[in-house]
Amino acid sequence: MMKLKQSLIIALTLFIVGITAWELYWRSEGFYPTLDDNEALWAEQRFRVEKASSNSILLLGSSRVLFDMQLDEWETETGIRPIQLAFVGSSPLPIFHDVVNNTNFNGTIVVGVTPGLFFSSTSPDKDSWKSPQSKVDFYKKRTYAQMSNHILSLPLQKNFAFISEDQGVDGVKLKELLGKINVGDRVVDSMPLFHEFGEIELDRNLTMKPITVSDTAYANSIIRVWQFFGKKAASGPPPDKASTMAFFLKDLEIFKARGGHVILVRCPSSGSLRAAENMGVPRTEFWDELVKASQLKAYHFEDYEQLKHLKCPEESHLSAEDARYFTTELVKIMKEDGAFSNLKTN
Amino acid sequence: MLFNSLSFVVFLVIVLALYYSKLFNWTGKKRMLLFASYIFYGLWNPPLVILLWISTLVDWITGKKLAIEENKRKRVLWLLLSMGVNLGFLTFFKYRDFLLDNFTTVVNTYGYGYQTQPMDIILPMGISFYTFQTMSYTIDMYLKRTERAKTFLDFALYVTFFPQLVAGPIVRAQDLISQFYEEKRATVNQFIWGLFLLILGLFQKVVMADTLLSDTVDKVYSSDKILNFWDAWMGTLAFSGQIFFDFAGYSTCAIGIALMLGIILPDNFKYPYASLGFSDLWKRWHITLSSWLRDYLYIPLGGNRYGVVRMYSALMITMLLGGLWHGAAWTFIVWGGLHGTYLILERLQRQYIPFKITKWNGMFLAFTTFTCVNITWVFFRAREFKTAWNMIGSMFYLNPDGEKVLGSFDILKVGIIIGLLFICHWFMRNTSVEAVSKKIPPVALAVVWAIMIFLVAIAQGSGEQFIYFQF
Repeated sequence: MMKLKQSLIIALTLFIVGITAWELYWRSEGFYPTLDDNEALWAEQRFRVEKASSNSILLLGSSRVLFDMQLDEWETETGIRPIQLAFVGSSPLPIFHDVVNNTNFNGTIVVGVTPGLFFSSTSPDKDSWKSPQSKVDFYKKRTYAQMSNHILSLPLQKNFAFISEDQGVDGVKLKELLGKINVGDRVVDSMPLFHEFGEIELDRNLTMKPITVSDTAYANSIIRVWQFFGKKAASGPPPDKASTMAFFLKDLEIFKARGGHVILVRCPSSGSLRAAENMGVPRTEFWDELVKASQLKAYHFEDYEQLKHLKCPEESHLSAEDARYFTTELVKIMKEDGAFSNLKTN
Repeated sequence: MLFNSLSFVVFLVIVLALYYSKLFNWTGKKRMLLFASYIFYGLWNPPLVILLWISTLVDWITGKKLAIEENKRKRVLWLLLSMGVNLGFLTFFKYRDFLLDNFTTVVNTYGYGYQTQPMDIILPMGISFYTFQTMSYTIDMYLKRTERAKTFLDFALYVTFFPQLVAGPIVRAQDLISQFYEEKRATVNQFIWGLFLLILGLFQKVVMADTLLSDTVDKVYSSDKILNFWDAWMGTLAFSGQIFFDFAGYSTCAIGIALMLGIILPDNFKYPYASLGFSDLWKRWHITLSSWLRDYLYIPLGGNRYGVVRMYSALMITMLLGGLWHGAAWTFIVWGGLHGTYLILERLQRQYIPFKITKWNGMFLAFTTFTCVNITWVFFRAREFKTAWNMIGSMFYLNPDGEKVLGSFDILKVGIIIGLLFICHWFMRNTSVEAVSKKIPPVALAVVWAIMIFLVAIAQGSGEQFIYFQF
């Protein structure tokens, strides 16, 4: 005869004790509750585009746009809080294509140009394309169940350190913990350990974690990852400037025709990464040609005294403090240049 | 809606609260369950609820007519109407592109240069399950094997009952509709046991299938390289575990949720990896589908009533169509064909080389069966024949220099999990979780239960879809 009531009470007690201990353990290890920058969070912002007016601003690009462009500073300077649609490791082209072809949006789009990603390829099999395209596809196909799952998961993400989709060395969910176990060297994974070094908010405003600035070893571990990707890119096919530019210019034409405005921005990079970018995707051959062909307002950090000396702790993104400075100065430059002449700004 | 999602937790709590509240009488509760079932389905894709309504309406009207119609010709026409609508939906949504693709290939072999554009139609979740369930009602009505559902509400709830709507168990009308005639309330023990089964099912899905095995499977089957012997085997063994835990997990959840409402659903899995041969396998794996195929396909095709050739043909046709039921691709048909071949060979063995199964040769037989089943899983999992043949080649050591894609820990992990799975099935093959739970102290059951909830919580399933939803 089963004493199921007794079993249930003991099981629930043990579970509550266990999960509390688990949460406390991760907090003692320095983890704290954070939001996940997943496709559901992105889709919420993408949904805002449907109702955006001609006075709205969209931010597109890769992680540099996410880290370096701070929404509070944008809002302070312009009176408009942009919609953040940039995504890490992504080419902006699939999302630009989606906004241009699947919405009536005719406001302003700021496109962050990280040359290694922007000019990489238009092949749907490339990670830099697949990742943003998967966000677009998720948005188009998301179900009511997925939307409600996202809403219900937010309080959990905000309150529990162990609820996290972080991957790699900072991953705490069971699959990630098991993934860290390494036995023997049957298959060598040369990818260096990768830290999640940003913290995102509900409107996808993202800032760099302070540890990236204060702990050089932490920052160096991220630099090693950029070096790893740099080597991988160098051994792969060269950037596909012709097709990426053609793809962008075609969508740009459609967008301009309906009254939309586009601004190009090249965010800072520094150290060995900047040197590698100069070698692999030199400014004159890529950025300058893009600006010339598109005839858009364009801002390269190296062209401005107040921006050119900014240093990225891990060579690719600005610290939270520098990002606030960068955003304020960049928007001022843009305003002075009349880049927002179409908008009703402050 | 997925069982392994936060929305479902909220949904279930609301449904249970309304079900056990005094707000409704039994008819009101059934209406609430029906409405909840449509919400459950509609939160995935609201317009596709219309298909459910059409299927329900057609089979309800057909059942009503068949209950009173005595004219044989008219009875056949009513049956054909139901079959036409249900199989029509299935063909249009699931097999259209496959049929068109094959038609194009055949036509073009004669040099016509015919081109088609795939429609890329969304596959309604669970369509293969609910169409088979409603068809079973109409066929049983036609054969006068079951009573007509008393009310439309009972019938609609039978078609749409949310615990088993999208991935079974495929329940026969006489087993479920009759349970709706009188008020059902789970006893406290039934309710708690149902909750235990729900957690067990979630553990199977979220922890075993999605967390421990799926990555290994994806790594092996998404590789475009010719793989090493160990990688091919471990990837395939991992898939055998993944698909079992995924599907058995869903069925266990469904049975548990229904039990919490006081409704009994039939078992769908009985430790299939310890099967002693293939007839035994199909009495243990996806039991409700195999019995459906037996009753509505194999037996009408002649079964074993018209000699050996007819029997083997019926067996092979049944298994080929069973393969096709799983997916619109030739790889699934080959999967079914392999199982058909195994069943025929087993019958030949029984006829010409019979032997008695003892506990000593039993384990060897179970192991051999499990090994042969794994060969078939290659065709089930591979997206194309090239991958399948490469995998088979590697598994038979034809590619000794194949690539290694799995780390030692992956191999160790899969080896241990699948080894334990096989042993567990072997020792449990003649018993059940409930029987074992009765024998162990309540504290031991509680500890196992707590570990499962804990692991589900820290695995934080990312709402991975159940594999069988695509069928």
